[in-house]
Amino acid sequence: MWEQIRANKRNSILLLMLMAAVLGLLGWIIGMSVSPDPRAGYFGVGVALIIWFILAVVSFAGGDAIFLAASKAVPVTKEVHPQLFDVVEEMAIAAQLPVPKVYIINDPAPNAFATGRNPQSASLAVTAGLLGRLNRDELQGVVGHEMSHILNRDILFVTIAGVMLGTITLLSEVFLRGMFYSSMGRRYSSRDRGGGQAQAIMLLIAILAAILAPIMATLLYFAISRKREYLADAGSARLTRYPEGLANALEKISQNTTQLSVANKVTAPMYIVNPLQKEGMKLSDLTSTHPPISERIKILRGMAGASFADYSDAFSKTTKHATVIPSSALQDDTAVQIRTGSTQPAESAKNQARNIGNIMQQVAGFSILTCACGLKMKIPPNFKASQVKCPRCGTVQPIS
Amino acid sequence: MNCPVCKNPMIILELDRVETDFCTQCGGIWLDAGELELLFEDSHHGRRLVDSFHPEHDIKEKPRPCPICLKKMQKIHIGEKNTQVLIDRCPKGHGLWFDKGELAQVLTKGNFDKERKVIKHLSEMFSHKESEGKK
Repeated sequence: MWEQIRANKRNSILLLMLMAAVLGLLGWIIGMSVSPDPRAGYFGVGVALIIWFILAVVSFAGGDAIFLAASKAVPVTKEVHPQLFDVVEEMAIAAQLPVPKVYIINDPAPNAFATGRNPQSASLAVTAGLLGRLNRDELQGVVGHEMSHILNRDILFVTIAGVMLGTITLLSEVFLRGMFYSSMGRRYSSRDRGGGQAQAIMLLIAILAAILAPIMATLLYFAISRKREYLADAGSARLTRYPEGLANALEKISQNTTQLSVANKVTAPMYIVNPLQKEGMKLSDLTSTHPPISERIKILRGMAGASFADYSDAFSKTTKHATVIPSSALQDDTAVQIRTGSTQPAESAKNQARNIGNIMQQVAGFSILTCACGLKMKIPPNFKASQVKCPRCGTVQPIS
Repeated sequence: MNCPVCKNPMIILELDRVETDFCTQCGGIWLDAGELELLFEDSHHGRRLVDSFHPEHDIKEKPRPCPICLKKMQKIHIGEKNTQVLIDRCPKGHGLWFDKGELAQVLTKGNFDKERKVIKHLSEMFSHKESEGKK
C-alpha cells in the first residue's frame, strides 16, 4: 500500500497547488471585473494567494479541529463506551497505527468519520445512533473502514479538500451576492468611460467563473472520494477479516431515515455513508460522494476471502468495471481467510432506541441517581437545583 | 430538554426501562413521540388511546411551545366524554405534554383497565406526588 500512501501525499500537494491556481484565477478575474487596469487583476491575485496561504496553514494546523467542531463531536473517555474503545484499539493494532482520539457525535442518525493531519494526530468520530444500533462485528467493520482512511492518508487529503472547497464556495458566494446588490448602482453611474465594453466582458467572465468554480471544485472532490470509499471498504475487510460485518453495518445504516443534523455539503464526503442522502434517492450521478450502498454491500458479500485480491475480484464481478485496488496493494497481498462471525442475537428496535438514548445522555454528561425505591433519575448537566425529590417515594437526594 | 411551562431543564425518570421526562418544579410530564405506544406493549390499546385524541381550537389555556421544536403545541382532548383531559401535542409530532396530574387522570379515568400493568407503572412512577396532592 505504500504506493497508495505516496499517491495520497502527492495528491494533497497537487490539490493545494490546483486550488492556489483556481483561487488565483478567480482573484484575477474578479479584480479585472472591478477595473480594467491590469494592476487590479494582480491585486486580485495577491489577495487570493494570501487567502490561500492562510487556508493552507489552517487546514494543516487545525483542519481536523474545524471539522470536529462543525460536527459537534465530543471527546469521550473509555467509560462512556468501553466496547468502542476496545474495537478502536484492536483495529489500530491490526493496522499498525497509533490509537486515534475517539469522539462521539450526539446524534441519533448512524454515521462515522475520521480526520487529522497524519496517523499520529488522527481522530475518529462516530454518532450515538451508530453505537446504539450496531453489534460488535458491525462496529468493527465501520471502525476498520475509518482506520483504513487513516492508514491510506485519506484524512489529510479530504481535510484539505474540504477546507479549500469551503473557501471557494464562500468566496464566489460573497462575490455573486456583492454583484447582485451593487449592479443597480453601477449601471447608471457615469464612471465607466471607454473601457466599458471590456469591463462588461470581464464582468461576464467573472460571474461565470464564480458560478463554475465551486461546481468544478465539488465535482473534483466528489470524484476522488468515491474511489477512496471502495479502498477503505477493502481495507476494512482485510483488517477485520470479516467483510460481512461491514456489509451488515452498511445495511443497517442505509435503513435509517433520520438525517444527520450536523452534516453539510462540505463535510458530507468525510462520513462512511453520505449523511445528506434522502430516502429513495438514487445515488448514481456525478455529484454523489459515495458509491451506492447496495453496490458496496454486494461487493463485500461477494468476497471469497478477506484479502485485497478477493475484494478486487468481487468488485470487478459486481460493477463490471476495472478494479479500484492499486496494483502495488495486489502485489504484496497475502491470502486472508474470512473468520467466523460471533452469534450475537439482534436487538429489538426498542432496545436499540434505548441504547441510543443512554449513550446520548452519557455523552451529554447526565448524572444518574438511583433512588432506594428503584426509580432511576437522570439529571441533565444544566440542572440548577442542588437536590432532587424522588416523585415515586418522596426521598430527597442530593445531586453530586 | 427544557420544561415548556417553567423553562427549567427537565430530568429523565426511568423505571423498569420505561423513560419519561419530568419537570421537578411544576410536575409536568413529557412523552416523546411513540413513547405512549411503547408503554402500551400491545400497541392496539395504545392506538385506541391515540384515536381518542381530538384537537380543540377555542381553548383559552395558554399555548405552550414544544420542548423540541419550540412550535406552539395544539390543545388536544383525550379520552371518552365526561372523562376528557386536555393535554398539549406538538404539531410536528415530537410528543405529548401532560401538566401535573393529567397523565394520571388519563390513565385512571380512561377505560384502559386492561393495561393495568402500564397504569400501575406510570402511576407508581409518580405515586408520591399524587398521594400528597400538592408539593
